[in-house]
Amino acid sequence: MTKKSIYTAFSILLILFLQVFVLDHVYFLGFINPIIYVIILLLYPVEHNRALYLIAAFLLGLLIDTFQDTGGAHATSCLVLAFSRPFLLRIIYGESYKMKNLKIIQSNFDRLLLLLILGILIHHFIFFNLIYFNMSHILMAVKDTFAIGGLSLLISLLVIYLVKPKVVR
Amino acid sequence: MQQIINFLIKYRNLLLFLFLLVISISLTVQSHDYTRYQFIHSSGNFTGGALSSKQSVADYFNLKQVNQELANENAKLRMLLDGLKADTLRIDTTTVIAQSTYKVIPAKVIKNSFLKKDNYLTLDIGEKNGIEPDMGVITDKGIIGIIDRSNSNYSRVISVLSSDLSINAQIKGSNVIGSLKWDGQDPYYLSLEDVPRLAQVKKGDTIITGKQSTLFPPNIEIGTITKAELIDNGAKYKIDVQLFNDLTDLGYVYVVKNKILPQLKEIDTLGLND
Repeated sequence: MTKKSIYTAFSILLILFLQVFVLDHVYFLGFINPIIYVIILLLYPVEHNRALYLIAAFLLGLLIDTFQDTGGAHATSCLVLAFSRPFLLRIIYGESYKMKNLKIIQSNFDRLLLLLILGILIHHFIFFNLIYFNMSHILMAVKDTFAIGGLSLLISLLVIYLVKPKVVR
Repeated sequence: MQQIINFLIKYRNLLLFLFLLVISISLTVQSHDYTRYQFIHSSGNFTGGALSSKQSVADYFNLKQVNQELANENAKLRMLLDGLKADTLRIDTTTVIAQSTYKVIPAKVIKNSFLKKDNYLTLDIGEKNGIEPDMGVITDKGIIGIIDRSNSNYSRVISVLSSDLSINAQIKGSNVIGSLKWDGQDPYYLSLEDVPRLAQVKKGDTIITGKQSTLFPPNIEIGTITKAELIDNGAKYKIDVQLFNDLTDLGYVYVVKNKILPQLKEIDTLGLND
């Protein structure tokens, strides 16, 4: 158990490090700045304590906000994502996902991919709308959501297979 | 009463969600105002420290280029000094520095952004080095922004690439002034607005900081005019200015402190009280 928590903590730190110190300084094609820390929220073990999960999501977003000077945009989008994750899980893994003792990271690739796509779309769409903060720029927000979301998805998949535990529990 | 408690217990997660949502949205709204009362920012000791240690690693990779740029600037200043030598020979350099209106403090950029609607930079110097809000930030190639907030060791700059900022500027060689703004699109271009219709505007003219600006020294070259069009039924010009500075690639900058700013402000308030 302790070994597993150390492993989880190490993975989370690695992802945050990658986000803040590497990916925040990557400008692919001049404007694509991938956001991958969202996978921490998506792969978080299926919650028994939902309040704790919401607070953790809020604080995670706030931490990224301090590094990027985005006010509360990351915090808001993380919070909405965390709140909507049970609905996503219900759509993807079926109504009974809570009974099955679901381990998201060990699940089938197609379902994991679907979860990542939906999660990244929700997060990025809210985030870029809050960044532009102007309804007339909604098309630009949509463009950013898809362009940046695409690369975020690709890098997220790479990172997941990098930190994924080898032993199937 | 029992029902209220039951309601609270049943919907506690939803209520927590709404509570946190209100906090985060208000932080976001606050960040879109040009105020320095923001709670979430990158110039805190923890964030600043983390960013500055990352930057010190990254610095090794462009030492050569930075050296080259500094040498170029030195050469330019040496030529300038040579031109002034006739006047300065008899004066001690310390007196020249003491008499100048502006104090210039070098700083290193440890964080930069240019893709958002409002962009900020973080510098590795703070109140310990005499940095205060409302000081201008420049490089040898033009203007960068204005100090927005500072703590003891780090300070944050609101970049010229921000929707809220407008800077007094003028066309070199004339007294035509306007305000320089960013439309949020291209980080290499700003637009000069409120230029009257009768002003002489030519493509290729240089834009410099205006004499009315209290934040920046006058006559700093900012960029060149690439396009000018009449707007508002031909009442005034909207001019596209290509910047000399590459705001996407910044290493070292200078913070400029206007030593006579308190006096200037005092005179301004005198006028208002009349």
